[in-house]
Amino acid sequence: MPAIVELRNASVTYPNGVLALSDATLTLEQGEFAFLVGPTGHGKSTILKLLYCDEHATRGQVVVSGWDVARLSPGRVARLRRRVGVVFQDFRLLPRTAWENVAFALHATGHGYRDVLRRVPEALAEVGLLDKADDFPSQLSAGEQQSLAMARVLAIRPALILADEPTGNLDPDSSSHIMGLLTKANKAGATVLAATHDPAIVDAKRTRVIALRQGKIFRDLPEGGYPDDLEHD
Amino acid sequence: MIWNTIDFVCRETALHLRRERLIAITTISTVAVLMLVLGSMLLFLVDVRGWADRMGDALEVRAHFYRDHSREEAEARAAEVGEWPQVREARFIPKEEGWQELRSWLVSGDKLEDLDNPLGDCIQVYVTDPEFLREIARKLESLEGVKAVVPSSGDAGKKGSFAHKVVQFRRIITGSGIVIGVLVVLAGVFIVHNTIRLALHSRWREIYIMQLIGAGRGVIAAPFLLEGVVHGGLGALLACCVLIPAHMYLRTLSERSAPFLLLAPDSALLTFGSAVVLAGAFLGLTGSALSVRRYLRRKPEWHS
Repeated sequence: MPAIVELRNASVTYPNGVLALSDATLTLEQGEFAFLVGPTGHGKSTILKLLYCDEHATRGQVVVSGWDVARLSPGRVARLRRRVGVVFQDFRLLPRTAWENVAFALHATGHGYRDVLRRVPEALAEVGLLDKADDFPSQLSAGEQQSLAMARVLAIRPALILADEPTGNLDPDSSSHIMGLLTKANKAGATVLAATHDPAIVDAKRTRVIALRQGKIFRDLPEGGYPDDLEHD
Repeated sequence: MIWNTIDFVCRETALHLRRERLIAITTISTVAVLMLVLGSMLLFLVDVRGWADRMGDALEVRAHFYRDHSREEAEARAAEVGEWPQVREARFIPKEEGWQELRSWLVSGDKLEDLDNPLGDCIQVYVTDPEFLREIARKLESLEGVKAVVPSSGDAGKKGSFAHKVVQFRRIITGSGIVIGVLVVLAGVFIVHNTIRLALHSRWREIYIMQLIGAGRGVIAAPFLLEGVVHGGLGALLACCVLIPAHMYLRTLSERSAPFLLLAPDSALLTFGSAVVLAGAFLGLTGSALSVRRYLRRKPEWHS
C-alpha cells in the first residue's frame, strides 16, 4: 500500500521556545487505522495540525497525499484540506443548521447543488441525524454535535480522516457511536488517524498505536492496546 | 465548477444578509451617516460649482471687425470660429444689430439716433470653459480684419478681471471638492473598516472553520465582500433618501426667495445619487476586504 502520510524527522518549536514535537518519523499507509496516544500536551494534536497544515514543521518534512506541505501555497493548502476530513474535540461547527453545516463542506470542496442535495441527507442519515437536519448545533447534544462533525467529514468522502480527541467531550455511548463511524469510514477505504488519551477506546480496537511522550514518538505498536507504561490524564 | 462557485457565493451572501441583522444594521447606519456628511458636502460643492459654471457660461468674447471689412468674409469667419473645439457658440452680429443693441444699453441711447453707426460687424463667442477665454481671445485677435477683441487676450486672463476670478473660484471649488472628497472617503474607509472588523470579529471562528474544511480564500471572502457592497450601497441609498428630497425642498425655497442661487437641477441629483450609492458600495467593499483579509490571515484567539 502506498503511504498517505509521511513525517520525516519532523520537529515543531513554538515561537515561545516550547518544543511541541521532536524528530518525529512516521508513515501511514492508505487504508490504515491508527491511534496517536499520549498525555495531553505531549504532541498528539501537533502531529495532526501538521497534517492539516495548521502548523508547519520547524525542522524535517511532512508529506500528505504526496504533497510536501511546507511548500504549499494557500490555494494548495485549501485543496489538500478538501482531501482530509478533520474531527475536533470541540466539534468546530458553523453556527448554521445541521444541513447547512454538511452542505457548506460540500460546496467548499467544489460539489454542485445536485450532489449536495444527494449527499447531505445520506451523510446525516449515516450518523443518525436526518431528523435533526434543521437544528442548529446549539440545539444538539454533545454526542449529536460530534456526529454532525462526522457527517460533515463523511459527506466529502476524504482519503484521510484526522480525529483530534473525537470522544473527549462525550459519554461512553456517544464515544462508541463515533468510533463506530470512524471504523465504518476506514472500512470504506479512508485512512484514519485518531488522537486520544482514553485507554478504553484504544483497548477496544486492536489496531496500530503510536505513543507519544514529551513530543517524541517512543513506541509504535502494529496491533497493540494502550501502552501500560504511558501515563494518562 | 465556476457556476457552482458563483451560485454558492450568492446563496452564502443571501444567508449572511438574512442571519446577521445586527451586523447589517451597524454597517448600514454607519455608512448612511458617513454618506450624509459626504453627500452634503458634495451637494454643496455641486451647487457652488454649478453657480460658478453658470457665471462662466455668461462670459463672452467679442471680435469687432473694421467697418469696411467684407460682411461675407466676417460671416465666414464666424462659422469657422463656431467649429473651434473650445467654442460653445459663435454668433455673427451685423453692425446694424450691434449698434441697436448698444443704444438700448445706454441711458441716453435715443440721443445717438442721428449719429452714424461707428461699429463694424462682430462675432460674439461663448467658450465651453472660462479657462479657454484667453486662448480664444488670442486666436480671435489673429483673425484677418479684426480691429479689436473685447476682452483682449491681455485682459481676459488678467489678475483681478472677472474672468480670472471665475476661473480661480472654480479651481478652488474643484480642488477643495477633491481634497474633501478624498479625506472623507479615507475616513469613511477607516470607520467602515473598523465597524465591519468589529462585526466580523464574532465570525472569526466561522472563517477559520471554513478554512479548515478546505474552502478557498476567495470562496470565503466573496460573500463577505458582496455583503459589504450591499450594506454600503443600502447605507448610501438611505443617505440619498434624505439628501435628495432635502435638496429639492431647498431648491423650491430658493427659487422663491433667492432665485439667483440656482441650485442643481433634478438631472444633476440623479448623477449625484448614483455617485453616492457607488461610493457607499465602494466603502462597504473596501471595508469588508480589509477586515476579511485580516481574519483570513490569523487564527482565532481560542485556537491552541
